[in-house]
Amino acid sequence: MASKVEWETELETALSRAKAEKKNVLLDFFNPG
Amino acid sequence: MDAVTYPDNNVINFMQGRVIPVRVPYDHKPLSEKFNVKWTPTLITLDSEGKESHRTVGFLGPDELIPSLLLGIGKAYFESGRFQEAISAFNEILTGYPKSHSAPEAIYLRGVSLYKSTKDPKPLRGAYDKLSAEYSDSEWAKRAYPYRLIE
Repeated sequence: MASKVEWETELETALSRAKAEKKNVLLDFFNPG
Repeated sequence: MDAVTYPDNNVINFMQGRVIPVRVPYDHKPLSEKFNVKWTPTLITLDSEGKESHRTVGFLGPDELIPSLLLGIGKAYFESGRFQEAISAFNEILTGYPKSHSAPEAIYLRGVSLYKSTKDPKPLRGAYDKLSAEYSDSEWAKRAYPYRLIE
């Protein structure tokens, strides 16, 4: 079990994983401060 | 989000199991313009083709983020015509997070999904009945108002 959220940093990578794993993508636009 | 929501164990487990999380700065080019982002946090659910199904702006605690993500998942299924999977996602919200802000929309869209998959209009009336009884102040109760006429 992961101890923290493991974020992708590239949308294209996330979409490729989403297709392979049959999941949706959560795209978070955040303020890095 | 980083201090409260994302470190929550239920959130971690849900996100690792049910979505592919990707994070970019609010001024990312070209994504911030492509998705018309004006404030943070902006959270967008996409299907695997990159089509947006749901969006929120502003902080969400753990008990709101998870049902919001389920709503996004359900809406993605709904928009692709996969109504049984959509109904399953909406039911997860109503079972696990009935007090969340996502619940009224889930009731409405569950009714529509049941109607579209069966052509039986009674679930639309059922959605109105539940919304008017339990979420009468929600905008979704108002949107379901015409369904009160269904016998």
